[in-house]
Amino acid sequence: MRLVIARCSVDYAGRLSAHLPLATRLLMLKADGSVLVHSDGGSYKPLNWMSPPCTLTVMDPDDDQREIGVTEVWRVAQAKTADLLVVSIHEVLHDSAHELGIDPGLVKDGVEAHLQKLLAEQIELLGDGHRLVRREYMTAIGPVDILATDASGRSVAVEIKRRGDIDGVEQLTRYLELMNRDPLLAPVEGVFAAQEIKPQARTLAEDRGIRCLVLDYDAMRGLDDSESRLF
Amino acid sequence: MPVRFEVNRDVFSEAVSFAVKLLPQRTTLPILSGVLIEAGPDGLVLSSFDYEVSSRTTIAADVNDEGRVLVSGRLLADIASRLPNAPVRFSTEESRILVSCGSASFTLLSMPVEEYPTLPQVPENLGLVKAQDFSDAVSQVAVAASRDDVTPVITGVQLEVADNNVSLVATDRYRVAVRAVEWDSGTSGLDAASALVPARTLAEIGRTFGHSGEIGVAITNTDERELIAFKADNKVVTSLLIKGNFPPVRRLFPENVDNYAVMNTAELVEATRRVSLVLEREAALRYTFTSDGLTLEAIGSEQAQASESIDAILTGGDTVVSLKPQFLLDGLGAVHSEFVRISFTKTENPNKPGPVLITSQTSREQAGSDDYRYLLQPNLLLR
Repeated sequence: MRLVIARCSVDYAGRLSAHLPLATRLLMLKADGSVLVHSDGGSYKPLNWMSPPCTLTVMDPDDDQREIGVTEVWRVAQAKTADLLVVSIHEVLHDSAHELGIDPGLVKDGVEAHLQKLLAEQIELLGDGHRLVRREYMTAIGPVDILATDASGRSVAVEIKRRGDIDGVEQLTRYLELMNRDPLLAPVEGVFAAQEIKPQARTLAEDRGIRCLVLDYDAMRGLDDSESRLF
Repeated sequence: MPVRFEVNRDVFSEAVSFAVKLLPQRTTLPILSGVLIEAGPDGLVLSSFDYEVSSRTTIAADVNDEGRVLVSGRLLADIASRLPNAPVRFSTEESRILVSCGSASFTLLSMPVEEYPTLPQVPENLGLVKAQDFSDAVSQVAVAASRDDVTPVITGVQLEVADNNVSLVATDRYRVAVRAVEWDSGTSGLDAASALVPARTLAEIGRTFGHSGEIGVAITNTDERELIAFKADNKVVTSLLIKGNFPPVRRLFPENVDNYAVMNTAELVEATRRVSLVLEREAALRYTFTSDGLTLEAIGSEQAQASESIDAILTGGDTVVSLKPQFLLDGLGAVHSEFVRISFTKTENPNKPGPVLITSQTSREQAGSDDYRYLLQPNLLLR
């Protein structure tokens, strides 16, 4: 990742024509070959950019350009189309390159895993006297998020979702059916736990004798706004 | 067995709309969406039940053939409310129901009445409350109940009977509302009980029974299911109670406060609504109380700011609090008095301001006669 902050003007030619007048901007050159022109605003969106595959050629300015103060010209040419991004650099204020390594990617179900860990630690949220048996209890058709026992020692299977919808209830129903065949576990009570439970999912779950539990993620991880509350 | 009766249109319409009012929006058992009509020698009993809440009402009717019939509640309610002004004739023919009124007639399919669950027994009255007072108290208190399923216990209103009073308490952890009304224990002699009633159901009961004179209240505890019943006129509503322990919120109220301000309620409501127009969602308004009056300021938004000053009589030192406008408006809307007192409490915790207490005032000097109290947690002051 190379970061250049420079006073520059930018022209785009090809399928569309665009011109960015002279100003100080951030030029981002990524390892995949892309070049992005950012201003100090507009959030994640660059003012202009060239997607890979493309080639960057650094050229000396011609006489006319040198006269108006250009010190360097970057030609970024797209390999598949005739699109061209030309950055006329007047002054480089910063230039650095960093090795970022391989990115692990965006973990979208991180919340679900965290909820499972937190609920296992705060198992009393299921009700007084509940005890954790284990997380990820394996069944023939996949792991149940949490297996616990209630105050009277009966098994409780918990399915955790971020958003609780019908699919989650169906999934828990399948686990419960299987687990209730096991004489060592049966009878198994089902608990459908989610940050938010859709009304249809709640109706279906309660109709099948599955208890619904709404989880307050912020309170569970100690991030709730307790100072703005009375208690 | 065919059922046949004739009934006054307005009486019938009112009874059906009462019976279906508390029916759930969606149910997995279609039979529960029905209204049960029982025609007997004394007239009609209309009821609905969803295993949690039941409603039933008795009305006079000319019954020709006695019997029971079950019909879709909302459809019958819609029809009954639109019927022309004429006697309603109701009869069954095998699985069909004929409703005719003036020149209009409807044919409805009946539902299998044998499968309908047995309604809960209505227990004997434990005491009486004045309907108007109780209805007011419910509307004042229920506004503070939580609507969040995360904490089922506080989605209810706690009723506590003690010392010839029944007090109502509700909270959503940001505010607590409390009010007591007179409790006449009559012959039962019961003078200590508590019940946690779903706020939505109680609010509907308050609206329905507001003009009924007196409401009889009964609580039972049979086979692990705790039930409360409210009776007035010819109507009865029962509801299962919420299980669990209501948090001990009364201790949050200050014993005595010597720092408070009195304002005209309507002026404060108007000013709060005006100034909060420029606020971002969830943002708080800044209220500065001095001997010159009260100044409201909307801060924290870059796009727009607003401020307004109104009269206020301050007792004690100058005070600044930051309050969420909707929470304050809920309290101001519930005091039901021309003037309002906002009292400020002290706190030891520098990171958490002391709560403010909202109570009624009949005039600038005279405190209100009711004991309604609304406690609200201010936000942290940001500058």
